[in-house]
Amino acid sequence: MNMIELENIDKTYVTASVETRVLKRISFSVQKGEFLSIMGTSGTGKSTLMHILGCLDKPTDGHYRLDGTDMVSLNDDALSHLRNNKIGFVFQQFYLLDRATVLRNVMLPLIYTKEYPEDAKEQAEKLLAAVGLTERATYRPNQLSGGQQQRVAIARALINNPALVLADEPTGNLDSKSGADVLAVFQKLNREGRTIILVTHDRNVAEHANRIILLKDGMVAEDRVISSPLDADAESRAEAEKEMSK
Amino acid sequence: MKISKEIILSLEILTEHKVRTFLSLLGMVVGVGAVVVMVSTGRSAQKQIVDRINRMGTNLVIVSAGKSMLIAGRQRQMNIVRTLQVADAQSILEECPSVALAAPAVSEKVNIRWEDQNVNTTVAGMSVDGFQIRGIKPQSGRIFDPEESRALKRVAVVGSTAAANLFGSADPVGQQIRIGKVLFEVIGKATPRGTDVNGLDQDDVIFVPLETAMRRILNVTYVQTIYVQARNSRLLKNAEEEIASLLRERHRLAAKPDDFTIQNQATLLEAERETTSSMTLLVGSVAAISLIVGGVGILAVMLMSVRERIREIGLRRALGALRRDIRNQFLVESAILAGVGGMAGIGGGAILSWAISRFAHWPPVISLDAAAVAFSFSVVIGVFFGLYPAIKAANLDPIQALRSE
Ligand SMILES: Nc1ncnc2c1ncn2[C@@H]1O[C@H](COP(=O)(O)OP(=O)(O)OP(=O)(O)O)[C@@H](O)[C@H]1O
Ligand SMILES: [Mg+2]
Repeated sequence: MNMIELENIDKTYVTASVETRVLKRISFSVQKGEFLSIMGTSGTGKSTLMHILGCLDKPTDGHYRLDGTDMVSLNDDALSHLRNNKIGFVFQQFYLLDRATVLRNVMLPLIYTKEYPEDAKEQAEKLLAAVGLTERATYRPNQLSGGQQQRVAIARALINNPALVLADEPTGNLDSKSGADVLAVFQKLNREGRTIILVTHDRNVAEHANRIILLKDGMVAEDRVISSPLDADAESRAEAEKEMSK
Repeated sequence: MKISKEIILSLEILTEHKVRTFLSLLGMVVGVGAVVVMVSTGRSAQKQIVDRINRMGTNLVIVSAGKSMLIAGRQRQMNIVRTLQVADAQSILEECPSVALAAPAVSEKVNIRWEDQNVNTTVAGMSVDGFQIRGIKPQSGRIFDPEESRALKRVAVVGSTAAANLFGSADPVGQQIRIGKVLFEVIGKATPRGTDVNGLDQDDVIFVPLETAMRRILNVTYVQTIYVQARNSRLLKNAEEEIASLLRERHRLAAKPDDFTIQNQATLLEAERETTSSMTLLVGSVAAISLIVGGVGILAVMLMSVRERIREIGLRRALGALRRDIRNQFLVESAILAGVGGMAGIGGGAILSWAISRFAHWPPVISLDAAAVAFSFSVVIGVFFGLYPAIKAANLDPIQALRSE
């Protein structure tokens, strides 16, 4: 079953004098439970596409159906609810609230759920443990390293148990061990049945997915299946051994 | 639960810019403070005057000789009128059904001597009923009785100020004083009554029996005032009318204007209430202006806050916040901001009005209702002036907000 169907998606930014056509007639589908990497050089429109997939932005033209519903026809409130309970977004720039603690940041999406869960704090703590930040729960984001901030952003994306996880360069700021850990988290989530779309410019990262789409000049240049994805768990263990032997 | 969490976060944000927040709140603090100060001091001043009016006596109607006029807010008798008689008082008592008591009185500044002390004080000749009508009681000694009045006895009851001026710390009761040339025995001292409606000291007086004053001191056949007590407070107006028509008949005025003036306590209170209500209007408009200034301060700080937190707004929207969630968050913030300003204003205003009432020797009046109204008003203003920034924030495009620097 197709979870995502893109049909001739166009995105043109209009500024005072210039029109920039960033996405050009993009069409592809993603099945439920897939792990997809989107690759491309800087400025090809990867983030723009992610924002459209995450229902944050609307295409200038074309159709986007999520679970069979045409996103273009939904109103603002419906899109907000959808973002809240179906989609987990890891932004390229993390976007954490510096005033709130790490724990509060992770809990933030829960504020906008229909029913605030009794065990909100426990859920957030569990996710922080999964990304290895238990001891940093009471820190402020500006007291963390870039990699730690990225992991907080990942934990926050997962708090509402989203069916679709969108991650924009989630390993961009991480060393190879932490990068492998984060990818291991995504692979585990994928094994549990979640659909994952990951943006990266790094082929090694991309090959942890089952499928890679290559964007070039705002168009799909390549769409191929990875028959044997890399195993992030194994890499993480190998990195750990390397650390030990040093 | 989730609301309270957001409020705590909002408060953290506001405390981040302490100086800016404080400055923007200043208008609100001053506005609410002004309301509290003006209402409180206005009320204690009013209470003071009402107390004075009530202290004059119970169900009191005052008949004075001649046409008196209000000059610079005080009653002034224009010229000496000799038509008001002791017999008029007797007649008022007998013929006016709404009247319970009537006491004629005269008064005049006279030189008083005791040993080598020499003071100028008002001597009031008054019948015994006058003490009851005006609520004057002996603090020590006694007041004279009707028998002494009829017999032209030379006895006196001194007011506390007059007593202090004349006798210093000595006990006045039993002393011999000279009023004009006549020797009197002090038989009592009256309880202090404070100042009257016109701000005059009611205790700088020496009471003597009416007949004694008229014949032995002033040598007059007419009186200046008749103090009348109505049967109850509802009959004040009736008493006034009955007295007026009786006196016009007795004085054979026909087409001539009144040669007397009648006032009753209710009218005095009513006049007082009118002054206060025009004061209230003034207070209201000053307060409204300051609160609007305060509201503009809130508007400014909230607009700045929205601009500074544009990324946060984008993020919240991206994470699923509805437009109305964002709007409500900013409304709650500006309401809290305004409420804090209002609280500070109430605190400052209460301290200031307490200080003023102490300084002016007014009874302190804590207007809790005014404070409550001012506080709720400040919150309403916070919501009102927060509405525009909040709607502005709510209508931001999520992705544009996220991407803006
Ligand atoms: N609001 C905007 N107005 C005009 N142009 C925009 C706007 N947002 C993005 N662009 C342009 O769209 C293009 C694609 O931007 P996008 O952020 O999607 O690239 P990207 O593939 O994610 O790049 P990177 O790998 O560096 O993150 C860029 O050329 C950028 O300048
Ligand atoms: Mg990007």
